[in-house]
Amino acid sequence: MRRGFNFPGLAFLQGLVGLALFVWVWHLIVASGAVPRAFLPSPEATWNAFVRGVTIGDMREQLLGTVLRMINGWLLASLVGIALGSAIGISETLRNYLRPTLAFARALPASAVVPVAIALVGLTPGMVLGVIVFGSIWPTLLATVQGFAMVDPRLVEVSRALHLSRFDFIWKIGLPNAVPDIITGMRLSLTVALILAIVGEMLAGQEGLGKAILLAARMFRAPDLYAGIVLLGLVGLVSSYGLLLVERRVARWRR
Amino acid sequence: MSGKSGSVVIEFRDVGLYLGGKEITQNVEFNVRKGEFVCVIGASGCGKTTLLRLVSGLYQPTTGSVHVDGKKVDGPSRDVAIVFQDYSRALLPWRTAAGNVSLALEAIGMPRAERADRIHALLGKVGLAQHAAKYPSQLSGGMQQRLQIARSLAQGASILLMDEPFGALDAMTRQSLQDEVLELAADTGATVLFVTHDLEEALYLGDRVVALYSNPGRIARIVDIPLTRPRNQLSTREEPDFLHLRRELFGLMEEIHA
Repeated sequence: MRRGFNFPGLAFLQGLVGLALFVWVWHLIVASGAVPRAFLPSPEATWNAFVRGVTIGDMREQLLGTVLRMINGWLLASLVGIALGSAIGISETLRNYLRPTLAFARALPASAVVPVAIALVGLTPGMVLGVIVFGSIWPTLLATVQGFAMVDPRLVEVSRALHLSRFDFIWKIGLPNAVPDIITGMRLSLTVALILAIVGEMLAGQEGLGKAILLAARMFRAPDLYAGIVLLGLVGLVSSYGLLLVERRVARWRR
Repeated sequence: MSGKSGSVVIEFRDVGLYLGGKEITQNVEFNVRKGEFVCVIGASGCGKTTLLRLVSGLYQPTTGSVHVDGKKVDGPSRDVAIVFQDYSRALLPWRTAAGNVSLALEAIGMPRAERADRIHALLGKVGLAQHAAKYPSQLSGGMQQRLQIARSLAQGASILLMDEPFGALDAMTRQSLQDEVLELAADTGATVLFVTHDLEEALYLGDRVVALYSNPGRIARIVDIPLTRPRNQLSTREEPDFLHLRRELFGLMEEIHA
């Protein structure tokens, strides 16, 4: 996180060494034969399955399916979360009324509502999207509420002295003040959205990496299973890191 | 009562204020005339800032009333601008200097096309023309306070309330800002109500000085300052009247603190 670290190249190198060590230990365990290959394939077999899946297999389509599902749900959750969060955050009374309810909804594991969602809308793409939105809305919504609650009282006075309208206060003071919190919330939301996209695929049989790794596991194609897991890990890493960059850029006025 | 003969623009009529069951202000009664520069002094916690909040409509008096231009104050008015002491909290950190001035112009509904010129002129007035694209965090304390002053001018208000605006600045910066504010007040003909805990600053700037007792805040004395204008950091502070008033008010302040 720290800027101006002395050896950013060194830190990166250390990270690579750590990763290489991890793969090497993985290799050693497989080579020792302590774990059956049906459960733990070698790194080479995983890599080959990965390359095969991406080049001649269906992995690209599956990846696209999962990523789109994740992003659609996440964007919808972000939009609704920011709008609702602004509406709640602007009023201290409303904040006080809703705080316990929001805390409960946030603490509720989203997968727990899946049976409810299935009962209500069936095993449809809409259900999966709905569960993703429901599960991933909370970090963004709560961060927005928080961002509004933390507006400096002085700025509230400034906006009153300037006769800013309620809309102008939200748009020009409340939201910009909340932006760093919102982006952080959206980063957390994205992680949840990915988890729920995969769970949704597994449960509702939607085309994607989640369904693919479930099938691979059922058919004891361990290398394919692990290749899918590695790819999902990469999706999570890339999306989270991308938003971290956005977070730093947006909050450049914050020192 | 005052050196200036303009009409009365700010009236405190027997104002009392309770906040959270505590009496903050008691029986405050005085007038400020058009174009007058009135300074309020007193120990911290004497309700100086409260008086500004009452004029700006951010607080409502419990008893009595505050009138601006003959009308009872019942909320903030665009004709009253306020400069807060804690400039770093009063500016929008995510907007540049130009953007902060723009906020006041947007508030009065100035069309986008006209804003750029006005912003440039206002920043020029406070010596920040070169720093339009900088964020507040990139400006020194004195520059941030200049920026807040520019924003208050952008509002086009005829009444300027200043709440210990230079309290957090170093002595040199404070002196140059004192002179700039005097110049701006003279240029715009604005009426200024200026709160400070610095006795000499009050004498140097004001046409009149209102001294307050503490707990609750009430008027101890109102003193006319017959010093000539324009004032000068060296010669004004050496005038016999200045020294005499300084001694007199210093004695009063000691009495207040005791």
